[in-house]
Amino acid sequence: MLKIKNLKADIENKSILNNFNLEIKPGEVHAIMGPNGSGKSTLSNILSGKKGYDVSGEILFENKNIFELETEERAHKGIFLAFQYPLEIPGVNTNIFLKTSLNAIRKARGEKELDAIEFLKLVKLKAKELKFDEEKLNRQLNVGFSGGEKKKNEILQMSILNPKLSILDETDSGLDIDALKIVADGVNSLRKKDNSFLIITHYQRLLDYIKPDYVHVLMSGKIIKSGGPELALELEKKGYENFN
Amino acid sequence: MREKQIDKLKDYKYGFTTDIENIRAPKGLNKEVIEFISKAKKEPKWMLDWRMKAFERLKNLKEPNWQKPKYPKIDYQDIYYYSAPKSASEKPKSIDELDPKLLETYKKLGIPLQEQQRLNGIAVDAVFDSVSVATTFKDKLNEVGVIFCSISEAIQKHPGLVKKYLGSVIPLTDHYFATLNSAVFTDGSFVYIPSGVKCPMELSTYFRINASQTGQFERTLIIADKGSYVSYLEGCTAPMRDENQLHAANVELVALDNAEIKYSTVQNWYPGDENGKGGIYNFVTKRGLCKGTNSKISWTQVETGSAITWKYPSCILQGDNSIGEFYSIAITNNHQKADTGTKMIHLGKNTKSKIISKGISAGFSDMTYRGLVDISSKAKNSRNYTQCDSLLMGNKCGAHTVPYIKNKNPESNIAHEATTSKISEEQLHYCQQRGLNPEEAVGLIVNGFCKEVLQQLPMEFAVEAQKLVGISLEGSVG
Amino acid sequence: MEEQLKIDFEKLLETSNFSKKNVEIKRKNFENFIEKGFPNRREENWKFSDLNQIISKNIKNLSFYNDLSKPNKIDQSIFIDGLEHNKLVFVNGRIEKIEFDYEEKNKIEILDDLVLEKSNNANNSLLFLNNAFVNKYFKLIVKKNYSLKKPLVIYNITNKDLISKSINLKVNISLEENSSLKLIEFFNDRSITNFININYNFDIQKNSILKNYKIDNNSNSNIKYSFSNINQDSNSVSEIFLLSSGSEFIKNEINCNLNGKYASAFVNGVFILDETKHHEIKTNINHLAENTKSYQLIKGVLEDTSKAVYQGKIFVDSKAQKTDGYQLSKAILLNDNTEFNAKPELEIYADDVKCSHGSASGSLNEDSIFYLMSRGLNYQEAKKLLINGFLLDVVEKITDSEIKNLIKNIMSLKQ
Repeated sequence: MLKIKNLKADIENKSILNNFNLEIKPGEVHAIMGPNGSGKSTLSNILSGKKGYDVSGEILFENKNIFELETEERAHKGIFLAFQYPLEIPGVNTNIFLKTSLNAIRKARGEKELDAIEFLKLVKLKAKELKFDEEKLNRQLNVGFSGGEKKKNEILQMSILNPKLSILDETDSGLDIDALKIVADGVNSLRKKDNSFLIITHYQRLLDYIKPDYVHVLMSGKIIKSGGPELALELEKKGYENFN
Repeated sequence: MREKQIDKLKDYKYGFTTDIENIRAPKGLNKEVIEFISKAKKEPKWMLDWRMKAFERLKNLKEPNWQKPKYPKIDYQDIYYYSAPKSASEKPKSIDELDPKLLETYKKLGIPLQEQQRLNGIAVDAVFDSVSVATTFKDKLNEVGVIFCSISEAIQKHPGLVKKYLGSVIPLTDHYFATLNSAVFTDGSFVYIPSGVKCPMELSTYFRINASQTGQFERTLIIADKGSYVSYLEGCTAPMRDENQLHAANVELVALDNAEIKYSTVQNWYPGDENGKGGIYNFVTKRGLCKGTNSKISWTQVETGSAITWKYPSCILQGDNSIGEFYSIAITNNHQKADTGTKMIHLGKNTKSKIISKGISAGFSDMTYRGLVDISSKAKNSRNYTQCDSLLMGNKCGAHTVPYIKNKNPESNIAHEATTSKISEEQLHYCQQRGLNPEEAVGLIVNGFCKEVLQQLPMEFAVEAQKLVGISLEGSVG
Repeated sequence: MEEQLKIDFEKLLETSNFSKKNVEIKRKNFENFIEKGFPNRREENWKFSDLNQIISKNIKNLSFYNDLSKPNKIDQSIFIDGLEHNKLVFVNGRIEKIEFDYEEKNKIEILDDLVLEKSNNANNSLLFLNNAFVNKYFKLIVKKNYSLKKPLVIYNITNKDLISKSINLKVNISLEENSSLKLIEFFNDRSITNFININYNFDIQKNSILKNYKIDNNSNSNIKYSFSNINQDSNSVSEIFLLSSGSEFIKNEINCNLNGKYASAFVNGVFILDETKHHEIKTNINHLAENTKSYQLIKGVLEDTSKAVYQGKIFVDSKAQKTDGYQLSKAILLNDNTEFNAKPELEIYADDVKCSHGSASGSLNEDSIFYLMSRGLNYQEAKKLLINGFLLDVVEKITDSEIKNLIKNIMSLKQ
């Protein structure tokens, strides 16, 4: 599904990612773990098409290079990023935002746009599944939401937009144990044989709830070790500093 | 990257011209032209005298020059002050007799006038260049005693009301453009809501400039008698032309005891092309008098058109406990300029005012919020709250906030807040990641920014205004 | 008045020995002033304070010639106690003392034989007046890498001998790279109905710091205008505090150009006015380079029939991305006939900026008074406590603790 070859990324002449390689097949869950400053967020930014980086190498999504695609075109193809810090957009109703997004994606895929009633039915269902307070959907997008609510809102958006590849950028940070479980349940319920996940995290604890197929350790802009779930436990025990 | 979108502004949707035969007064500003207008309107002598008084006064006035947008000198002798479709010289008795070309024009503008196609729940007065060509739902309004007609008709049929209130809020001698209007105004709407009546439908005037080299000088007068309520909307468009055309309107509102007037504007005059050529000079004087106790006047405006917009819809809060409100969205793009805001003059006790202004500038445009809050020493226990937010898109445009705050009363409170910001890259990225293209993302974020004002508009207008907000900013991203 | 001006101007030229160049410049400025006169409310800048009217109402027979030939006695009791400081003492507009006892002599330079610089503020008629009538003017240079060990206090003293005169002073201060200066300007007026017109020019070079505290606290009948023009290079800081309280009228105008990256300016001010006093603070903060910052906090307490005006403008050039500008003004009106006028203005041409302003005015919060009274305070005590709390907030912004204490003492804010 996703193939990253020799990815190199600089910002203002500072190298962030270097010789980065990764392949994710349909249905797989990959976790990337790394300390602060190892390039985790840069990776999610680049995959989602954020500007401001000097990038070279190759990113293939379903065998097509997506380098030249705009952020929204990548979203249309089914790449979803759950942001580490979801943005607040004052005045914009969460439901309206979601509906506009969903229909933009459906339209790009040549699917019928949902009308208000169909949409609300869908949202109601998903919100219930994720135990998301429906009333919050009538509020301004992320404005006045707690850290946990923002993260849950990201997962709700993910489940509604139904992407092929979901990138979770430190979704576990700032969550208490109950919220963490809800988020994990949400992710697990979306695990299907065609859907893949890339979970970017600092800590191992989210991986107690979402079992990854592969774990990669990211240090100074490249993957230094890959393995199964046991690698995460090893990392947790030793700490990043003594790893290697 | 998104050059394909840049040209969109050329598609000003209302830029067409109607090919129709006109009757015009000779070019220029002089006694004869004023007499011509007055005669064409079959006005009584007192009206002509009133016009002449204004004209005399005008000779001693100078155009104000304190505003931020400067404009080339206007040659007042090179303007047609009166232009009317020939077919409307005798106003038809029913809309079915109206010139099909006019019917077609309004239909194209989205304002069908014919019986069977009329907008539900909105009575429309259609003003074409210098004359009102049709007013819908007149009979239905008559039943409850509401008078809704052109000002020309009111001068003939309701001289008592016109004499009493015309010029009572904007005096003949107010300032250059207001006085010019008093001398040469051609048409506009007149509304009288009798005591205790809640007007059963929205009233609306649709202004259309069609003829070239013509100024539009309309005059609107709305009187809400004791305990009455009315919601009034105005819309405006003009063809695309290379020349600048002057639109200098006067709007006077009077609210008596316990009456409420809600006045909404969606201003979409032709803004000129992307190089700043052509477009309307929109120099308008709008003022409301809360004359009675517990009266309320609320202005809402969405200003997206015109080459230069220069207006300050204001409230004089004379009656005790009266309330004034001003909600504004102003958007400038390309080379547009706007200097707009409000004045809240607190004279009565316990008066309250609220100002919410949202300014958005893009391209090479320039936007100024200018406002006055004045609490006199007699206006005990008065309150004002002001919030002005500006959004800049790019660093070739400007945003200015110039509030004047005067408090002479220790028992009153004034609070003013203002911010200037931009749409952050992060917000854009977030929306794009959810599948929206940059134009859609900006439209969404800007509509969110304007929400408090959009909420004030009547439903039918709100949807239109939201779209307009998006369209006006097209080409400003990327 | 024009006749008087001409006579006095010629007399000034006759009795002084200005250089030929200076005479020429002075004549030009004089003509400009004659043409424009004192500013009035038709000028936007003077909209809320019509100086022309204020002068003609308050000063009878204003004259412009001031005999500086004889020295004046300095009343030593005026000097600030308990603060070691350097001194520059003006009495009735005449320099009487220059004393830098605490400093290394070669690190400070004082020039007084200067050619007048052309004023670049073409619209300010009071600068014309100043240039035309100023006698000796001074330039203080703080050398590279030197920080004055003690504050400099400029005393502006006027005594009973001075009546209905126009006094014009000009001081230029240049802080070379990496230097710093704490400057207190201290007014003491026993004179009657004079017009005092002061012009400061500050040139703050890279990494330098100016702290400027202006104290006008003694009740007096003078009319004053003080104009400070500040140019700031990169990484420089200016901190200004104004205690605006004593004079019948004073307008403090500050024009600050943040020319270099990361330059920052802080303007904090307090109005404490009673009787018929009318004071104004006018600021122009011009953000002309990236990452510049400005912060302004002005508060006022007005009693009797006094009036305060704050006009604050933040200008952001299109080059000045990442500007951070903030402005807040608040006033408490204690009487029916007091007046607070504000014009907080933003003019912005860059999109990546954070600018905001706020203004509020109104009465003391009666609920708070009630609360304090329920705890045993009487009305006057409760009121005083609330007012002090309201003003203390601004004084706390002063970053020099010694001077902060001094100002708290002067304002009797010490708890």
